[in-house]
Amino acid sequence: MQDTLATLISALLAAGLYATMSYGLALIYGVMKIINLANAGVLMLGAYVTWWMWDAYQVNPLLAPLVILPLFFLLGVALERVAVRRVMEQEPIISLLLLFGVWLILQNVAYALWTGDTRSIETPFVEATFKLGGIQLAWPRVYVFFAGALTLAVLQLFLTKTQFGRAIRAVSQDRDAARLAGIEVERIYSVAFGIGIALSAFAGSMLSLLFPFGPDFGRALQLKSFCIVVLGGLDSFVGVAFGAIALSIAEAFGLRYMPASLQNLISFVVLVVVLIVFPKGIAGIIRSLRRV
Amino acid sequence: MYRSIGLGVVILASLIFPAIAPHAEYVLDILFLMLLYGAMATSWNVLGGFTGQVSFGHAAFLGIGAYATALLVAAGWPLWATFPAGGLLAAFYSLLIGPPAFRLRGPYFAIATIGIGEATRLIALNWSSLTGGASGVTLGAAPPAVVQYYVALGLCAACVGAAAWIKRSRFGYALAAVRSDSDAAETLGVNTTIAKTQALFISAFMLGVAGGAYAMHYLYVSPDSTFGFSTSISLVIMPIIGGIGTIFGPLLGAAIFTALREQLEANPFLAKYSLDLSVFGLLLCGIVLFEPRGLLGIFERLVRRGTATTRKDSVSE
Repeated sequence: MQDTLATLISALLAAGLYATMSYGLALIYGVMKIINLANAGVLMLGAYVTWWMWDAYQVNPLLAPLVILPLFFLLGVALERVAVRRVMEQEPIISLLLLFGVWLILQNVAYALWTGDTRSIETPFVEATFKLGGIQLAWPRVYVFFAGALTLAVLQLFLTKTQFGRAIRAVSQDRDAARLAGIEVERIYSVAFGIGIALSAFAGSMLSLLFPFGPDFGRALQLKSFCIVVLGGLDSFVGVAFGAIALSIAEAFGLRYMPASLQNLISFVVLVVVLIVFPKGIAGIIRSLRRV
Repeated sequence: MYRSIGLGVVILASLIFPAIAPHAEYVLDILFLMLLYGAMATSWNVLGGFTGQVSFGHAAFLGIGAYATALLVAAGWPLWATFPAGGLLAAFYSLLIGPPAFRLRGPYFAIATIGIGEATRLIALNWSSLTGGASGVTLGAAPPAVVQYYVALGLCAACVGAAAWIKRSRFGYALAAVRSDSDAAETLGVNTTIAKTQALFISAFMLGVAGGAYAMHYLYVSPDSTFGFSTSISLVIMPIIGGIGTIFGPLLGAAIFTALREQLEANPFLAKYSLDLSVFGLLLCGIVLFEPRGLLGIFERLVRRGTATTRKDSVSE
């Protein structure tokens, strides 16, 4: 019982992080209808920048997002202006291949600057644990959960309460109608892409507190993000949260019955099962329940 | 007319090449790799190019073929018999993963295939009683370089021939219809799921056979080398560089990819910073941004411009 509760709590904590890392993907898809395959590279670079600031300049890894969020926002805007914009009107597979190329280049940046060695951040905070009602919890996991939840809450407020956020949502609902209503759609694209990239880099920064990483770090996570958005539906905020919780619970309990080296297989199995059994994802089920 | 003469010359030259230069082992080695990768790129192109279903997980089929050859040779099979066995195994594996994967369309399918590749690698890695786990399987002796060359030549010719035949067949038109508009193809009476599954089956079979040639050449298969994501990446890059969906584009892309990779690995500075990733990433971005039809598209453009200027010249005369 105690064991099950501990597993459940750690699964919920992981879900906060999974939601953060998937929401960048979902936001970019919602607004621009393209899948950001470079997401994996951005997650990885977010982790590296955090590690590098800590390793070379002793910057507390908890402060790294202050640099990472604006830096990657600008990088995302630049990438959108220089490259992504030019393929927006073409078939979706073209933008996917373009961003795949970007991912390869980002990986190379990591290899060139920091070699292929596995890195990890070791500070007293990262190793600190505490007990809550007999359950051992790691501080960084708790921190990461709340940081992720806070970021998503702020983003949700921005999207629902501000004029600009509403414009972003309008574009994601109907880009032509939004244009007719006087919204500068191209500008929205840049900003949404920037926010998506910044969110992914932020998630990467959080991940660096929990796991060791290398230049190929993002690939397995990319799959998890993708599994989550397929589970939850690519354009709904609640869906992403649901998908994140479902996947992290499946992983946490799956790991009790199989070797840890197979962990990355779980997201794939979940994906296949969902595709066969519920082709519309969890969001589809919720939607059809509501209709009934 | 000129085209078929040119093709004949190329085929003849490649057939008698080892007789002219019997001791050019290094050149034969490079040519072997170009032909093998040409066959691999052509196989990928049947699904990715003709049918428009870009797969980032095709290393799975290559790996199955390579492991089949390695394990069957160890079990006493003659080498030649292991190739079709590997092809069939890979093709049957494709029947297992095709139906769920094809529930996803376009870019969704593409990302799910990353999962297929990764899952297959993990299975190979963890099923150590069969595959030897991370340490892989070693083969005995390789056939002489000339024999290997002819194996790759035959394989590549068969794949390109099959691709050319498919492209012009009724089945090929069905695949083209799926690529340009899946819904329209469905209304025209094409069962798109079956068409895609068939294309995947053929593609997987060819890659499985190519995997056998891969194992024969390298004499060593491991989960990371054959099932690795980098193998899947190269399978995507080659046809796109050359010209996706064309018959000779993947061959051209494979030749350029192999030559470029040889150069990049030989250069200590470039190898130290793994700049091959950037080179291929930039190539990919450049082609997607400026000429989605690849180098063949650029070539065609140049030829057209050439003929256009000659025509202009003749008019002015």
